[in-house]
Amino acid sequence: MGKATAPFEFKQCVSIVKSTGRKAKNLRELRNVIAKIGEESIFHHVYQYFLKGHMLEYTNDFAQWAGETLEERALAERMSCIDPYTLKSVNSVRHELLREIDEFLNCFPEPHDVVEGNEFYFNETVNLVFPVGVKTRNLAEFLVAIEHIDAGSIYYHFYDSRVRLGEGVMDDFSMWIEHTLFRKKIAEKIRAIDPFMHSIENIRECIKEIVEEHVRAEMEGVVD
Amino acid sequence: MIKQYSGISPKSDLLLIQRLCKKLEGKSFLHVNSTREGGGVAEILYRMIPLLKELGIDARWEVIEGDAKFFDFTKKTHNALQGNTEKFTRDMWDYYYEINKKNRRKIDLKADAVLIHDPQPAPLVEYRPKTGKKSKNVWMWRCHIDISRPMPSVWSNLKKYVIQYDTAIFSVSKFAKSLPIDEFIVTPSIDPLSDKNRDLTENEINEVSEKFSIPRDKPIILQVSRFDRFKDPIGVINAYKIVKKYNDCRLVLAGSSATDDPEGEAILNEVKEYAGADEDIHILMMPPDYHKEINALQRMSDIILQKSIKEGFGLTVSEAMWKEKPVIGGAVGGIPWQIVHGVTGFLVYSPEGAAFRIRQLLNNHEMALRLGKQAKEYVRNNFLLTRQIRDYLSLWYSSMHRGENVIEL
Repeated sequence: MGKATAPFEFKQCVSIVKSTGRKAKNLRELRNVIAKIGEESIFHHVYQYFLKGHMLEYTNDFAQWAGETLEERALAERMSCIDPYTLKSVNSVRHELLREIDEFLNCFPEPHDVVEGNEFYFNETVNLVFPVGVKTRNLAEFLVAIEHIDAGSIYYHFYDSRVRLGEGVMDDFSMWIEHTLFRKKIAEKIRAIDPFMHSIENIRECIKEIVEEHVRAEMEGVVD
Repeated sequence: MIKQYSGISPKSDLLLIQRLCKKLEGKSFLHVNSTREGGGVAEILYRMIPLLKELGIDARWEVIEGDAKFFDFTKKTHNALQGNTEKFTRDMWDYYYEINKKNRRKIDLKADAVLIHDPQPAPLVEYRPKTGKKSKNVWMWRCHIDISRPMPSVWSNLKKYVIQYDTAIFSVSKFAKSLPIDEFIVTPSIDPLSDKNRDLTENEINEVSEKFSIPRDKPIILQVSRFDRFKDPIGVINAYKIVKKYNDCRLVLAGSSATDDPEGEAILNEVKEYAGADEDIHILMMPPDYHKEINALQRMSDIILQKSIKEGFGLTVSEAMWKEKPVIGGAVGGIPWQIVHGVTGFLVYSPEGAAFRIRQLLNNHEMALRLGKQAKEYVRNNFLLTRQIRDYLSLWYSSMHRGENVIEL
């Protein structure tokens, strides 16, 4: 196994939650705040949903609230199908959310209020990014690191990268594996992991399994 | 001291704390609250201050002094902010302000960052030292209680002080108000190394069981909390009475008093009277420094309750979860932030609901084990002291980079 020239440096993003002071007690209020709230808040409730670490029923905070608190499950399912990573901007995500809610409100124009305390609270975040002091130069080192790195670091390289690096880029791991280690097959397998269907710990396991399989094959002299 | 957390806290939290302390090295950080003993705030400060000092921050903890009249008033405001209706006069508010004015003469308020905890010392912001633009200090007000539905007149009096801060910090989003200042959400935390949370030997646990005459011959259900109506001790006894019809068990209600809580004793007597002569109900009033005893009680228990009907954050939930216990909590305040229903414990809405979940757990040992394990990991990642220190330092540091959403370190 040859040494890679540019090591993979693991970083992590820690988010401090900031309240916007805005809240919604029914679907129409939710719609009206989504229409006006800053992009940072939409970003937090949709893109940073995966930071929570445990798999919930839906794929963003708005859908989760619609499904679990409003008990409007059909709407929640439709909002869950919005894939923020295929849309070009946070504003596109906003428009998709509004489109789904408006369609729903056209059919059911009188939304009910939730009990006090169960409102949707609009937040945003301040994010601190820092290297965690781990660099890997080859696949075997990468395998050890992925096993022990904090979940927040996996979030940063697997989810956050899709927004940070712009359209067409999936995750930092597969980028490095393809373009620095020249292992396209492994990169493709990592890219094939569905980001919506796993918790961060599941993502760790999936990546570990893929890389482990290739490292073992190399040790046994099997070439890709 | 920070090294002691290695292998316990998430590695990245420790790394970020060290990085931030390097950036803030030599700067001063003042915390002010109203009690040295009792209650979650004092417990956290007791551990946090030495840790920050060790990392090069000039950290100080000051406690405001007041007489019974002052603390009676602040207890009333505490209840009113949590939704109770209380009677107030203009004189009471004047006295509250006067006591803070007196304290201002005793406490050096000069610091690069000042964190004032809860309403009691909130007016100190009126005496905030003037600074130049370049050496601007940061004043943060930390609210540990649920003020989502306060008595409006009380909130409006307190708000006059709150809006003079740079930042307000709430434990969960629903406590936040619409304010003209920055508002952040920082959940509180427990210290895994303190006597209240460290690992104990079986001998240590047995000693406590003997000390309080609690035989370990049948499942133990425990609630640890101040004797306070909002913790619903009567509701806990009602839940126990339902369970007792189906499953033999003991109930332990353990609480300590705090110097700023004059109501405690009256409620304790009420609870004792309600429990009657049932030998399987153990009501324990402990001094505030009985941390190891509380730890042992939690470890010897099978199921832990926090059946509050109003709650700040309810840190006793995280304490119990850290001991790998299945926890049943009221779905109020910060409890749903700790208990993910069915994953790290159960949320309930009534004594009957609590009774049902107790019975379920008493009859399904595998479920109790699974919830307990998941609960501990959840606390490790979200509710340890190191995460809270990380957040306070992050807030302080981000206030020096106002307007930036992403800060590279």
